[in-house]
Amino acid sequence: MIKRLFDWLKQPLGLIAVGIVFLAVFSVAAYGLYTTQQSPAQPIQFPHKTHVAFGIQCLYCHPGAAKGPSAGIPSQAKCWACHQQIAKTQTSVLLAPLKEHVESGTPIEWVPVAQVPDFVQFNHRAHVAAGQNCENCHGDMTTQTIAENPQVFNMGFCLDCHIKSAGEDQAKLNKLADCGTCHY
Amino acid sequence: MATVTDLKITELKLSEAEGGKWGMVIDQDICTGCQACVAACAMENNVSFVGDVDSGYGRSMHWIRIERFWEGEYPEVKMTPNQPMMCQQCGSATCEPVCPAFATVHSQAEQLNLQVYNRCVGTRYCANNCPYQVRSFNWRDYERPEPLPNQLNPDVTVRTRGVMEKCTFCIQRIHKAQDNAKAEGREVVDGEFTTACAQACPASAITFGRVDDSESLVSQLIKHGHGVKHLEELGTLPNVTYFKGG
Repeated sequence: MIKRLFDWLKQPLGLIAVGIVFLAVFSVAAYGLYTTQQSPAQPIQFPHKTHVAFGIQCLYCHPGAAKGPSAGIPSQAKCWACHQQIAKTQTSVLLAPLKEHVESGTPIEWVPVAQVPDFVQFNHRAHVAAGQNCENCHGDMTTQTIAENPQVFNMGFCLDCHIKSAGEDQAKLNKLADCGTCHY
Repeated sequence: MATVTDLKITELKLSEAEGGKWGMVIDQDICTGCQACVAACAMENNVSFVGDVDSGYGRSMHWIRIERFWEGEYPEVKMTPNQPMMCQQCGSATCEPVCPAFATVHSQAEQLNLQVYNRCVGTRYCANNCPYQVRSFNWRDYERPEPLPNQLNPDVTVRTRGVMEKCTFCIQRIHKAQDNAKAEGREVVDGEFTTACAQACPASAITFGRVDDSESLVSQLIKHGHGVKHLEELGTLPNVTYFKGG
């Protein structure tokens, strides 16, 4: 039975079949890998670079970063404070969803991009207080439209920086390289 | 073979070792056994509700429990004071060296015994080696029907099946207090924060604070009281002091 199958696979038609199966598996794998490298679909194609170009600070829209654990994603009220004074908001196709959300009073369901797992307790404030700038982890927003991760937020990425910033200070290293600093 | 004198020498060495950082004092004479600490702890730390079936198998999950003991023979039975028991945050913990995954490690910064949930592979060696029997294991993904998920504490990891867990001395509150103090440019003040069990105790039988600070309330109580540390003879260097019969 298996010998007959091998014989059939060795003839030209069989080789073509093998090739098609191989190509199908390879392209699905490649597509899967490609999708993991894409920023998620957002309800509005929010251009970070445009807003940064206007001189708006990160902390204006994400004020939580200086105050507590979560940087926060602004509600449409914050968007509207500026956008209702901009004539383009009324006509732009890309901004139509914002207008709809404001008029109907429904929240914009942004998809968080920079996330850590549940077993990691991350606090923005400690990092901002330690003099870390947003772009050190989140990348250069002057070149990005929809936010994407410049790197994977894994433990190696965190710990590299923690050990580097502790330097020779043993007490600081104990604190920054301690499991209980992030995992509890 | 170790002789009795050898054992005494090791005990002496251990007692001279550096004390912990955070400690607790529990006054068993005040404790009424009302279980408020148990409830508060479960809510603060997202401890699962196991249910009656699994509890029957001895798989109930508590980070703190009230132990009851009896003295004498029936009918002259006398109950001894209630004894709240939680992780003693030993300075030389027996749970730590047996973990093959290094999931339970000693924190150099806070001098606590940590349980790193994402490292734990669930061998349960630590629980079997704990003389206080205070570790609990997630035998299943226990059900959390609506609206219970709404009261989960976002500062504490929600554990899943196959993970060991135990009292952390509310390390999330320690971190929060330290973070607040640092933002305001000061040190953490004694009594500024406390653990969930100590906060909930209506009789104030539980006191929490720094044992390495001689001015703190906990240190004062330890100094002037007649406290005992449970199973201290094992050399575990526990950081919880019990007062009884005073």
